[in-house]
Amino acid sequence: MPNYYLISLLLIVLAIAAFAMAFERRKPQARDLVIVAVLVAIAVASRAAFFMVPQVKPMIAIIIIAGVSLGAQSGFLVGALAGFLSNFIFGQGPWTPWQMFALGIIGFLAGILFRRSPLKTKRLPVCIFGGFSTLVLYGLIVDTSSAMMFTPRLSKEVLLTTYLAGLPFNAIHAVSTMIFLLILAKPMIEKLSRVKKKYGLVES
Amino acid sequence: MRDTFSSCNPIVNFIYFTCVLVITMCVKHPVILGISFASAMIYSIYLNGMKAIKFNIFFLLPLMLIAAIINPAFNHEGMTILTYIRDNPITYESIYYGIAAAVMIGSVILWFSCYNAIMTSDKFIYLFGKMIPALSLVISMALRFIPRYKIQIKRITNAQRGIGRDISAGNLIGRIKSGVSILSIMITWALENGVDTADAMRARGYGLKGRTSYSNFRFDVRDWTLTVVLMVLFIMVVIAIRAHFISIVYFPAFVMNDFDGIVFILYAAYAALCLLPLLLDIREDIVWRSLRLKI
Repeated sequence: MPNYYLISLLLIVLAIAAFAMAFERRKPQARDLVIVAVLVAIAVASRAAFFMVPQVKPMIAIIIIAGVSLGAQSGFLVGALAGFLSNFIFGQGPWTPWQMFALGIIGFLAGILFRRSPLKTKRLPVCIFGGFSTLVLYGLIVDTSSAMMFTPRLSKEVLLTTYLAGLPFNAIHAVSTMIFLLILAKPMIEKLSRVKKKYGLVES
Repeated sequence: MRDTFSSCNPIVNFIYFTCVLVITMCVKHPVILGISFASAMIYSIYLNGMKAIKFNIFFLLPLMLIAAIINPAFNHEGMTILTYIRDNPITYESIYYGIAAAVMIGSVILWFSCYNAIMTSDKFIYLFGKMIPALSLVISMALRFIPRYKIQIKRITNAQRGIGRDISAGNLIGRIKSGVSILSIMITWALENGVDTADAMRARGYGLKGRTSYSNFRFDVRDWTLTVVLMVLFIMVVIAIRAHFISIVYFPAFVMNDFDGIVFILYAAYAALCLLPLLLDIREDIVWRSLRLKI
């Protein structure tokens, strides 16, 4: 039986590396770097601030906001780096690449879906995307990784059981992401576009 | 506890963790896993003390139990049937396999708890700074921003209290409102401050040609020796597995390699690989003691 865990780990690491290399290739300006770093820091701090309440984390909300206002590539970077850096506080583990990938993809999709769309300023679509992506993308990717950790001989039953066991946690996470987006999305996207306009940032 | 291994060059630290993690994750051999688990356990307790013991009992043990139960519950391969639960056969082999999977997940998590104690973020940036210069700058900036934001939030909170928007007074809705406004001020400040930082960086020539980066670490004789020892041990174990000196089959029946002199040496090689940091610490202790005795 193939070692699903290692193969998928390798694919995920390659995917993250591809994004990293694309970013490096661009030879980003100091301002681009700083804005990404600021958003990563806010995302990490937001995860750390809510450390007492399990699953209630504004991190995905901030990553989505980053993707919406800075675009797909920066969205992926903010997501992946926020996952990576917050684990310096919460502990790195075999889960780190999966979290990085899941968070990165959410930021990426947020950029693709909303960056140039008129829906950007509407609250509801962003919220729905936030809830859906937290529940399905983040939840399923991370749960799949734990299923593969628990039993290297993967089967449909094991996966289903893991998803069902994870569902309540993912549901809380998704609802909290939606609430945070409801509160934060509009003011933060406005702030970011103001700063972008004022200083002429990342219009690639 | 002062750990000598963490004072080695990060490259050595990284090679070590890569070797032990790759072997732990790829080889489901009971003896290899046992060595991994025991060494990771000892090292994590050595590094983290009481915290590690608590973590092992309250987090790791339940996790391993779940892993040990999940496998026989879902996997019905194997020839030696023990009993039936609701028409599903429970086999010896899948129970063995479950225990091996549990020890594997336990060892991986223990190794990572050692990794977290040794591979701090500055070491990571040293390792990958050349490969991903822009991203590692982003990482180190973000790491610097987090404590800075904490201080700034305190400042904003105090200033808001000064103008009568106290977050610790008033009804719930009022408090939430002042909390949100603190957050909003904070984010605006963070973005503007970030742009200032960027301008300062540009003014000082970020991105120009011929600039080098500061590094805290050098690669000395001890690091070379350790790297060679690590690689030799690792290659020995890999060859042993490839040549089936160390082999294991769980299904349909549990078959393990025989035990003889060569195999013993190979197990010992893997144990030496896993215990290298601890051996280094013990050596350091002995040297230190003998030096003191001479005085």
